[in-house]
Amino acid sequence: MIHLFHLYKNFGPNIALSDINLRVHEGEFVFISGPSGAGKTTLLRLIFGAERPTSGHILINGINLNRISRKKLDFLRRKIGFVFQDFKLLPTKTAFENVALALEVTGERRSLIRKKTRQSLKLGGLVEKEQAYPLELSGGEQQRVAIARAIVKDPLILLADEPTGNLDPDLTKDIMVLFKSIHMKGATVVIATHSRELLEDTEQGKIFLNRGRIFGEK
Amino acid sequence: MRLGLWPYFFRHTFANIMSNRVVHVIGLGTMVVSLCIFCAFLLLLVNLNVWVGEWGHSLAMSVYLQDGISEAERNNIHSIVGSLPGAQIKRFISKERALTEFKRVLGSQSGLLEGLSRNPLPASFEVVFNSAEEEKTDAGGIKQALEKVEGVEEVHYSEEWLDRFEGLMRMIKLVGFIIGGLLCMGVLFIVMNTIKLTIYSRKEEIEILKLVGATDWFVKIPFMLEGMIQGIISGALALLILFLGFLIISTERMYFLDLAVFDIVFIPYEYVLSVFLLSTVLGLIGSFIAVGRFFKV
Repeated sequence: MIHLFHLYKNFGPNIALSDINLRVHEGEFVFISGPSGAGKTTLLRLIFGAERPTSGHILINGINLNRISRKKLDFLRRKIGFVFQDFKLLPTKTAFENVALALEVTGERRSLIRKKTRQSLKLGGLVEKEQAYPLELSGGEQQRVAIARAIVKDPLILLADEPTGNLDPDLTKDIMVLFKSIHMKGATVVIATHSRELLEDTEQGKIFLNRGRIFGEK
Repeated sequence: MRLGLWPYFFRHTFANIMSNRVVHVIGLGTMVVSLCIFCAFLLLLVNLNVWVGEWGHSLAMSVYLQDGISEAERNNIHSIVGSLPGAQIKRFISKERALTEFKRVLGSQSGLLEGLSRNPLPASFEVVFNSAEEEKTDAGGIKQALEKVEGVEEVHYSEEWLDRFEGLMRMIKLVGFIIGGLLCMGVLFIVMNTIKLTIYSRKEEIEILKLVGATDWFVKIPFMLEGMIQGIISGALALLILFLGFLIISTERMYFLDLAVFDIVFIPYEYVLSVFLLSTVLGLIGSFIAVGRFFKV
């Protein structure tokens, strides 16, 4: 499903990732862990096609991101859900509108958009908050809106960058239950986290990054 | 592009215009002013063309008579000239009157004429032709025919003056094209900047749209529609203002050099349509360039 070969990424003179070789199979649930600045976010952004590698190759479902056109990358992104560390919600749109946005870009019928958006918000426990604006929601609720937006299009891959970074233990647990339920539906899930507690509580696969290099897998 | 997306584009476009209404109103106002100047110039050109056309249809001619012709011969020439289609004899200028007028023209140098043993100037008829709208008077043909009449020395007409005025008209048209072109470029830059400002104000939204899989066209089309709508509204407003201005001016009789001149006409509907299409296309092109530049960055 996700295949990385000798991946390098530099930002000017700074090396963000160095010789990353990784394979995540279809339906796997993987944590990418490491301290801040280890390259977790960069790795997820490369898999998502938001950054281009300095060298090396990224294969998603057999498609090489180096050789993909801009338009095909847009279509590929519709199969990948991304939960951003800073949520990336539009403050001028309601929770419902923020989630629906991911379907509107695909040109789906409005009735289907409404139905799937409600389902997704229900899964995130946000039905009563669907008309609220992001600034009217708590951090945890905003995080769940971001997750609802990532899962509304039934993605084949779900990438999440520090999804529990600012949440208390109870909310963290709720969010993880949500990710597991998405995984149970067949999605490949990759979560970047620096939280040791999260890793200790799980039996899923773990990849450890430090200074841009993989130094361990479990 | 899927048809189902168009309702989204239109909803999104109107919502965007409303949320950036100040920027749009400023851009729109500047565009309307530019288009008004352009339209006013067009109105002036159209009317100048009509006026020159009218002058072209009214031809002035001088029929010079031979010296020493009899009263009967002069009356015969008078009746021949008077019977020409559209001809109106303004006045008869006798030899003496011609000399007096010539002296007046020479002013202080009129002494030059003192030494003349006889008056060299011929008597003449001044004739004006007012032909129908469609047919221009055949000045050359009339000149030839009249010069064959017994007692007619020579015939002159205002062709040279007309040619000069047409040259002036060509120059005014050229200046019109240059000013029109510059104003169009101005309009284009205004649209580009307005759309650029709205793009920057929605940078975050564009980024998120791209992250959830929106194609470039999906993001671009609402901005292009915004530019097009701005072009449509500014074109319509400029034409409306021009028409209102025309109504006000056309109710007053226009005076030029103390002479009551011509009725003012509005620009033909083909021009109205062209101005409207031009403003719409400029809006579209301006926004297209603006989004193109943004997506290159």
